Parts: sequence; C-alpha cells; structure tokens
Amino acid sequence: MAKLPVHVDKLIEDFGPHKAYAPQSGFHGSNEPDKLVKTHCCYCGLQCGIKLKVKDNKIAGFEPWEDFPYNEGRLCPKGVMRYMQNNHPDRILSPIKRVEGKGFVPTSWEEAMSKTVSEIKRIQDTYGKDSFAMLSGVSLTNEKSYMIGKFARVALKTANLDYNGRLCMVSAGGGNKKAFGLDRSSNSWADLKHAEVILIAGANVSETFPTLTHYIWQARDNGAKLIVVDPRMIPLARTADLHLPVRPGGDSALFGAILKIMVDNDWLDHDFINNHTTGFQETIEAVKDYDLDWAEEHTGIPKEKIYQAAQMWGKAKTSFLLHARGIEHHTKGVDNVISCINIVLASGRIGRPYCGYGTITGQGNGQGGREHGHKCDQLPGNRDITNPEHRKYISEVWGIDEKDMPGKGLSAYEQIEAIHRGEIKGMISICFNPLISLPNNNFVREALEKLEFYVCIDTFLSETARYSDIVLAGSLHEEEEGTVTTAEGRVVKINEAVTPPGKARRDGEIIMELADRLGEGDKFSFPTSEDIFNELRVASKGGTADYYGITYQKIVDNYGVFWPCKTLDHPGTPRLWEDMKFETPDGKAHFNPVKYRPASEMPNKDYPVVLTTGRVVSQYLSGSSTRRIGKLVDQYPEPLLEIHPKLAFQYGIENRDLIKVKTRRGEAEFPAQVVETIREDTVFIPYHWGGKFSANQLTIDNLDPVSKIPEFKVCACQLEKTGKKASQERRAEAYQSGL
Amino acid sequence: MYRLIKTLNRRALIKAIVAAVLTVIFVLMGSRNLQNFDPALIAYLIGTVFAVFGIAYRYSVWLQRPPTRLYWRRSMQFLFSRYFFPYLWRSIKLFVRNIFFQRFIAFRSRRRWFGHFLLATGCMLAFAITIPLTFGWIHFILKPGDDTTYYAMLFGFEAGSFQLGSPLAFIAFHGLVWSSVLVTIGAVIMMKRRFTDGGLIATQSFENDWLPLFLLIAISVTGLGISYDYTFLEGKTYQFMAVTHAITVILFLVWLPFGKFFHIFQRLAQLGATLYKAEGKRRGMATCPHTKEDFATQTHIDDLKKVSKTLGFNYDKEDGTNHMDLSPEGKRSALANAHLNARKEAGKLFG
Amino acid sequence: MPETNYDQEMAFFVDMQRCIGCHACEMACAECETNGQESMIHVNYVDRSKSTQTTVQVCMHCEDPTCANVCPADAIHQDEFGVVHSANTSRCIGCSNCVLACPFGVPKKMEEAELMMKCNMCYDRTSVGKKPMCATVCPSQALFFGTKEEIARMRPDSVPVNSFLFGKQEVNTKVNIMMPKGTDQLLIP
Repeated sequence: MAKLPVHVDKLIEDFGPHKAYAPQSGFHGSNEPDKLVKTHCCYCGLQCGIKLKVKDNKIAGFEPWEDFPYNEGRLCPKGVMRYMQNNHPDRILSPIKRVEGKGFVPTSWEEAMSKTVSEIKRIQDTYGKDSFAMLSGVSLTNEKSYMIGKFARVALKTANLDYNGRLCMVSAGGGNKKAFGLDRSSNSWADLKHAEVILIAGANVSETFPTLTHYIWQARDNGAKLIVVDPRMIPLARTADLHLPVRPGGDSALFGAILKIMVDNDWLDHDFINNHTTGFQETIEAVKDYDLDWAEEHTGIPKEKIYQAAQMWGKAKTSFLLHARGIEHHTKGVDNVISCINIVLASGRIGRPYCGYGTITGQGNGQGGREHGHKCDQLPGNRDITNPEHRKYISEVWGIDEKDMPGKGLSAYEQIEAIHRGEIKGMISICFNPLISLPNNNFVREALEKLEFYVCIDTFLSETARYSDIVLAGSLHEEEEGTVTTAEGRVVKINEAVTPPGKARRDGEIIMELADRLGEGDKFSFPTSEDIFNELRVASKGGTADYYGITYQKIVDNYGVFWPCKTLDHPGTPRLWEDMKFETPDGKAHFNPVKYRPASEMPNKDYPVVLTTGRVVSQYLSGSSTRRIGKLVDQYPEPLLEIHPKLAFQYGIENRDLIKVKTRRGEAEFPAQVVETIREDTVFIPYHWGGKFSANQLTIDNLDPVSKIPEFKVCACQLEKTGKKASQERRAEAYQSGL
Repeated sequence: MYRLIKTLNRRALIKAIVAAVLTVIFVLMGSRNLQNFDPALIAYLIGTVFAVFGIAYRYSVWLQRPPTRLYWRRSMQFLFSRYFFPYLWRSIKLFVRNIFFQRFIAFRSRRRWFGHFLLATGCMLAFAITIPLTFGWIHFILKPGDDTTYYAMLFGFEAGSFQLGSPLAFIAFHGLVWSSVLVTIGAVIMMKRRFTDGGLIATQSFENDWLPLFLLIAISVTGLGISYDYTFLEGKTYQFMAVTHAITVILFLVWLPFGKFFHIFQRLAQLGATLYKAEGKRRGMATCPHTKEDFATQTHIDDLKKVSKTLGFNYDKEDGTNHMDLSPEGKRSALANAHLNARKEAGKLFG
Repeated sequence: MPETNYDQEMAFFVDMQRCIGCHACEMACAECETNGQESMIHVNYVDRSKSTQTTVQVCMHCEDPTCANVCPADAIHQDEFGVVHSANTSRCIGCSNCVLACPFGVPKKMEEAELMMKCNMCYDRTSVGKKPMCATVCPSQALFFGTKEEIARMRPDSVPVNSFLFGKQEVNTKVNIMMPKGTDQLLIP
C-alpha cells in the first residue's frame, strides 16, 4: 500500500503498543480458576510446559507445570509473563481496514474477506499467480504451518510462500541436510546431562533459551567442562571453563582450526570416520593451512585458548555441541554450521548416550514449522518441492494435479526485493513482522509502501501491519488447539485455553474461509485441528520428518513424542543415529570441506567498527507481543549500544551518551552502555524495537547463498557522538516503535 | 498473684494508674460530680476506664523498646525544634490524611481502603458519641415549658438546641445507627477479602484477623437491635438487646489494649516516622559506597547503628565502617562478591 | 495461623554464581498471592560495567532477625517454622528501620502505602506443601527448594552454609547458600 494512513502516533494511540500490567491483586479469578489448561509457552523453541489459569473464558494467570519433563516448572521471565498477552487492551477484536486520514476502523468479516479475495483475484489476473505472495511465521502450530503451505500452493496458487524461519534456522537446516540428510537436533536435551564437554557457539543460552541453563549446569555438576564461543561475555560464559570471544564472522575459521588441531594430534575416531562418513580427506585438506597463528588472526581469539578448546574437545569421551543464530546469521551461515558438524563427526561422538549435537531453534515452532511446507522450496515431511516424486506424493495427498503445484518460490528477503522490482504486487502475511525482523528495513518499508494490496492476519497491529490495507483479527497461541515441535524434536500439544475475544477468529478458520472463497473449500474442510494433524501425518509419511506414528493421544500420554515416528507402535526417536544409518542417499554422514571466507562487509577505514545484533532475555523476536507486556518492557526498556571501555575511550563515549551509529544502509541513535563484557572491536545492539529504535535499519541484507539467511551478525559501522545524553523520555517510549 | 505483679512493668504500671485516675477525675469533673452521669452506663464506664488503663500500660511498655523509644524521642525533639510550625502543620495534614482518611491504605488496595475507611469512620463516630455520653459530659434535656426543643448540655453547659422531630434531631439521635451501618459494611468488605484473597487466606489467624471483625459486627448488630427494638417493638426486647450489646462492647473495650485494635494507637507513630524522615533529609543523606547513590538519611543510619547495638547486633567492620553504611543493593552486592571470592579461592566459579 | 502443611524437610538453597540474571524469579514472585503483584525478590547486577554477574536475594529468614528486632511497631513476626513474615499491615508504620538494618538488603518499603513488604517464602504456597514461586521457575536453579539429601546428591562440589559473618556480627539463617566444600561460614568483609 502506500504510506501510513495517519501519523504513527495516532496508530500507536489506537492500537499500541501499550504496556499492560495485571491488576494489583491479580486478574479476576486467579485464586479460583475454572480450569488449569496444560499447554506451552509461546516464546521460544524450547516450548516449556506451563499451565494457564482460566476464569470465565479469560486467562487469569499461570501455574508452573512441574510434571512436564523438559522444564519441570522452570520458566524464563517471558514464560512467566506469557499469560499477559491475553486480555490485552491492544488486541484487535474485529477485522479492521485502512482509511486514509483516519487510521484503521473496524469492518465486518464479510467486507474484509470479500475485499481480500477480490484483490487477490484482481492482482493475480493482472500480473500472474506469483505476483501475490505470502509470508508466514513459525510461532504457528504444525497444523497452521501445514495448512498455510497447502493454502499458498492450492488456494492462492503462488510459488512465493516463505516464512520468518528464514531468519532463524535455515542455515542449520542447510548444514544438517548436507551432513545428515535430515534437519533436526540429533539428540534430546537429556543427553547434555553427562556430556564431558559442552561447546556452545553463538547461542546466548542464558538470555534466549534460559531454561536450557539448568541442563548445562546439571552437566557441570556432573563434571562437564563448558566452552562458550561468543563475542560477548554472556551470563553463561561468565563462569565457563573457557570463553572464546570470537570476532563476529570468525566462526568457521575457529572450527576449521580446531579440526586441524584434532587431526594433528590424532584426536579422531577413525573407526567412525572410516565406517560411517564420507568426505573426510577433502575436508581436512581444506583446513590444512589453518595453523594457530592464522586462526588467531582470523578469529581474534588468543591462540592458547583455541588450542585449549581443541584439546578439551578432542580428548573428551562424551560431548555435546550446541549452536544457534550467532553462527547461523551469516552469509556463510551454512558453512559455519558445517564446520561445527565436521568437528563432531571427526570426534565420532554422535548417536550414543551423552554424545550430542544440535541447533537450538529460536522460534516457538521453529522446528515443526520448518518441516511441513512452509518454505519456498519445501513440501510436508521436509520434502523438496523440486523433486518430482515428492511433488507427486503431496499432490495426491492434497487431491490436486501435480502440474498445478507451483514450483520453488522466492525466499523472504528475495520477496522484498521482488516487490521493489515490481514482480510482487500483493501480499498476505501471518505471524511475521518483517519491518522489525528483516535487515536493512528502510528498504523493507519502501517495499511495503509499494504493494498494491497487503492483508495481515494478526492479533495486534504490529509495526508491519500498520502498512496493511486490511487486518484479519486472528488468534493467539492459547486460542487454538494444535501441536508444535520443540527444538529437541519433541512434538507437544498446544491446548486451547480460551476462545478468541470479540469478533476475532481462530487463524485456522480464517485460512479455511479464504481458501473456500478462492474456490478450494473442499480441500480445506477440517472440523478440528486434529483433522489437520491427521492429514499432516499422512503428508509427512515417508519424508525425513515423518510424523505418521504420532497422534494427539500419544502426545498427551507421553508428554510429547520425538519424530521420526513412522508407525503407530513406534515410541519416537529422542536420539538420532543410534543405528549409524544416516538419511543421506548413501546412508553415511558427510564431512563437507569448509574454506573460511570473510563476512560480506568487513570493517575498513570509513566503517571501522563491527556491529553485531542479538536479543535480550525479556523480549521475543520482533516484540509484537512482548513489547506490550509492561513488566517485560520495564526490565529492558530500550535498545542499548554495548561498547567496550577501550573503544569508548577512543571516541570519548561515556555511559548513556547518545551515539549515532551509521552504516551504508542507514543511521540511528542509541544510548551507550560501556561494558567490559564485549570485544574491543565490536558493538552490539539488540533488535526487538521498531521505528527509530530499530537496529535493523543498520544491518546488511546480504544473504547466505544456500540458506538465504541474512547476515544480521556482522556489518561495518561508524560511531559518532551526538554530544547528548540519552533522555528518559526516549527510554520510556522506545517500546512503541515511534518514528 | 505476686508473680504476676512482679512481672508487671513498674513504670508502665504507674503511668497506667495515673491515666486511669485522670480519666475518673475527668468523669467526675465533666459530669459535675456525677450529677449528669447516667447510671445505666456504669458498666460501659468501668470498661472504658479499664481500657484506658490497659492502653496506657501497653503504650508505655511499647515505648520502652529501644527502636520505639528512639522514634518517640526523635519525634519530640524534631517537633519541638526551630521548625516547630512547619513540622506541626505537616503533622496535622498527615493526621487528617493518614489517620482520619487512612489514605495510605488506598495504595495497598482501593477496595481495602474503602472497607477500612468505613469501618474506621464508623468506629470513630461511635466513640465520639458514646465516650462523652458515658462520661456524663454530654446529656440532653427538655427545658421546662419548652417541650419541642431539645437542649444538648456539654459539661453541664448549654451547647446547642434542636427541634424535636426535625431532621437534625433524627440524624443526631441515630448517630450510632449510622456508625453501626458504616462499621458493618466495612467489616463485610474486609471479611470478603479474607475469603477470597489467597495471600490473606494463607497468613491470617482467627484471633488477629477474624475475631476483631466478628466483634465489630456483633457490636453493630446488637446496637442496631436496641434501635430496632425501640422503634418497632416498643421496647419489648430491650433487656435482651441492652445486655448483649453491653457484653460485646465491654469485651471490645477490655480487649482493646491487647488485640488487633491496639494498632489504632500505634498508627500515630507513623506521624513521627514521617517527621523523622523530613528532618533527617534536611540534615543530610547517606550515600552508599557501592552504588554511589543516596539511599537513606544519615541520621537514620547513625541511629540504627546505635539502636541495633543496644539490641545486641554489632555490624561494625574491621576497617571502622559498618555494614549498615551500605544501601540494600550495596549489601546484596557485597554478599554476592563475598560469595564470588569464596568460589574463586576454592579454584572454581561454578560448583 | 490456619491449618498448615508446611514441610520442614524442605529447605531453600541459593547459589548466586548460577544466576543468569534473567529475572524470571522476580516476575514469578509478583504472582505469589501474599504480595499482590509486587515482587519481593531482588535481582541486580553487581557491577554491569565490569561483568554480567548478577545476584539474587530472597529473605534468608534469620534465626534471630535483625529486622524484627529493630522494628518499632512489633510488626515482623517469626512463625514456628522459622519463616519471618512480611510486616503486619495493621502495625507497620513504614519507618524503614528493617529495610536499612537487614544485613542482606531484603525488605522493601512501599513508599505510598507506608508499608514494608518482604519475602515470606511464598507462604501461600509453602504452607500447603508447594514450592515457592521463584525456586519453582528459576531456570538456572540458582534458587533451589528441596531436601538436604537432594541438594547433596545434585551438587557434589558444594555444601549448604547458613552462617554469615558481617564484620563482628554472626547471622544464622534458615535459607542456605551453596559454598565450596569445607566452608561453614561466609565472611562478608
């Protein structure tokens, strides 16, 4: 569409974000709830179990769910406050439409739906099917993810469906598929417990996956050594046995060097390498020059520490390697992941108790949502949309002609570029706030302004939804039944605690009605979420992510079931590869050679400082929900620029000085937080805020060639003192993402 | 019996006896040597004198505790300083705000404030009516030759008059009815909280939390009973109503110095605490060596060090400073650092 | 007090070096019904400019509580289980003596309400045999509530210590801090 319909302040006044707090003595009925509904937290891939208190069809509070085996009642601050997203004054209670000069006004479902469908038809008739794109998100359940994949291909008939998992776990997925032929954490977290060495790379566990901390601490109680690779001294690293403060972008150099040290010292499992892997020789050939001096130069880590890490890793009998966005958000994200897998494979420590490897998926359903056809190149069961056999099988399940199945579409950021090129004219989105979460977001905003028609399904008017023509009032996590797959591959049950308020509807119903109005209603008649899941089971059957043997009842009875689970009598697979049969075509695990290459934008004279981005513990992703929860906002009200005292001294920067950060894409001001817990050559800004507080105005939009993940973790910037101190007003209003 | 007397606090006992004797003297004087005293109220009078004795005794014992004594002395010292007028004015304002209106409770919960306000107002109104009546300080007469005008006599002097059957008369004669209604509504609100609030349910006790409310309701209901009997039953049940009411009121009076209701008198110390803070602020703030921020008045910290020493707590450190020089956050950080150092010395931060 | 199922086998154990400063305990504490959306637990950075070290502080429930001793209003009560309760609302005059005297920096003064509030070990939960909110949710288990046997099994390198020396003052508490083996007292210099 065009620019905002009214000044952003008016939109904020009408739709927030506003901070919500519980009443002084708790919500009505929190003492005597009508029921306690067992479900999960919506705020990260760990999916902690939680019980929601319900009174008069409203969420009144929570109670820890101590029986759920993963978290046994433990929660992070987001989890504790998760219940506050319900009953929120900003909630969109009916469909709303954009009115120039006024903002957004309520409209009827009939008008909203018919307008949406007529615009879809007009745009597709004028510019072709693929000119109408869809963006989705993996905070949605498996059922919704599956249905959206089907909706885009069968009802919308567009190739251009992608999702915000593109910003999350695609690099890990790419690396895992290359190495193992399957994309899932190889182990459940239970294997952390007695690992001798735990290596955590680019995963700020203590802030982004706090409940996993207990597993790591437990392992340390059992004698484990902890190695943390991170440019910052994150809380997890403070007491670690070894902290490797890697320069952003130096990860594959580090792991390449570690591999070389392992080879040089013969800390290798030759039996495993010979019998169960391929590609070892080419892989070690690629790192043969990565000696310690080279490694120190390219990683920024003292060589003694690199050697020490290699020694600890190399000599261990059991181990667990974990990584997350810190090594994945790079133009070489897949390379970084593979370089990690290479040192795991060289050690042979996989497929056995306490020998583990995995990525920690960030989003609520980052695992399940990436398996069932949510991606531009993928079909359910983690099938390939370009593979004729896969296309044929899914076409049969869906009851369509294989020829009508669209091909591979554009990834999320490529869609934005396609809008600029005029190839995409219309868009529908759900559960995605690209204006905050995509890099170089001035470019994203200009794209949104160019769309002829943009419709959102959302619960709150997100920063992106402010640019829409119509918002269809959808449902929250606790308002629709379904399943999600946790970061350890455990399929768990999300239960409906309350029905959507006002005229808001369940997301699933909205999608089904749209499909019906687009003439494909017969393929979208699912009376219950379980019916969708049952179709998903069939659709995933025979794929690598095989859910066929999982049923709702089985999930409830077993506190979740780990896929793959191919038959109804199968108990699920917490630990992969025990049989040493990998999912690659040759059944072996694949080493892949990784040559270090620098980040796409390295610091130079004009842009001398490395900028990296990340998250804080009190906020989730783009903050559309968590920036509306008062206590979470108050915990960390505004994005701060973390800077080392030595670098700060060069610029004469002190705490709370307002600093202008400039990159080739944009500039923005942030208050300085001078801390010794970051590398001297790097600054850090968390990204959860929008408008003038957005870190992603600065980040670079270069993508990994394989995974198409943007390089959020490295770009070059300049720092400039504004001569002002950051004001309290600024601090107080940051959560609203004003301009 | 001897043992009991021995355990009594002598100073408090003397003060209590003085207070009780003074009350009796005031009764004698105010009622013009019992000329205006209503003998029907003798039981109430005895109860009240006992209550005065008990309150004075307990108050005196309470003031002997080192921290209380300190506050009491400091309050007097600061009030009667060269800032007498501003501090007096401040105290009067606070008295109205926090004693009459109990506004501070509103910040704990609005409903709780409302309940407490009704309850307290009802009680204060009832005391304001009944004490002068019981003491014989006020009585009403019809002057000879004027049988439509009531005259209120205060200490035997004419203090006002009103027409029989006028709205004013109705309001005046039913003052206790109104206070009973206020108290009952207030007590019900407070009781309801005690049924529904999980925190209160966990921590409440019968004698400290429920009994006072029952007693207040009992007094109100039996008091209303007298009115009801008089208005609608032509006094048929007067005897019963009067006796039950007297019993509940006297129970209340006897229990006043020892139970929950003593807080009515303790609450006055809040005025002293506020004054203490104001004067302390004027004299200068204490800065935490850890956070580098002001966190309390220096007077307060210095006084606390002394008081805690009299109580047997000595937080002095080797270097001449005192643990209380640290702000709460400073103390928490000191503990955390001590723990960190102990871990470091043991060779491992984690264990 | 009403009927209680307070389990005296259960104890509270704190290890600040495990704390990751996430504030989950603080959020959860406010959900405890005895303190009406106010959080009683303290989490703070020790010195953020130098380190991410945080500390977490619950009421230690001293055997002879300084706070109760210095209270001019007799508002702080220690029950038969050794739990030191939040100020009695009808008595507390909001003087802050307890806030400033507590060696652990625990009590909080609610300024406008003229009331001191503090951790009472989630009495609404512990009195019915549940765990306190903070220790239930703590994702790092820097706060642990369980039996002595459990903690001995889980943390083989540490021992619980419940004695502290602040300058010349020894303070013994109901709540334990996990210390290196062989330690029996934590000295706060």
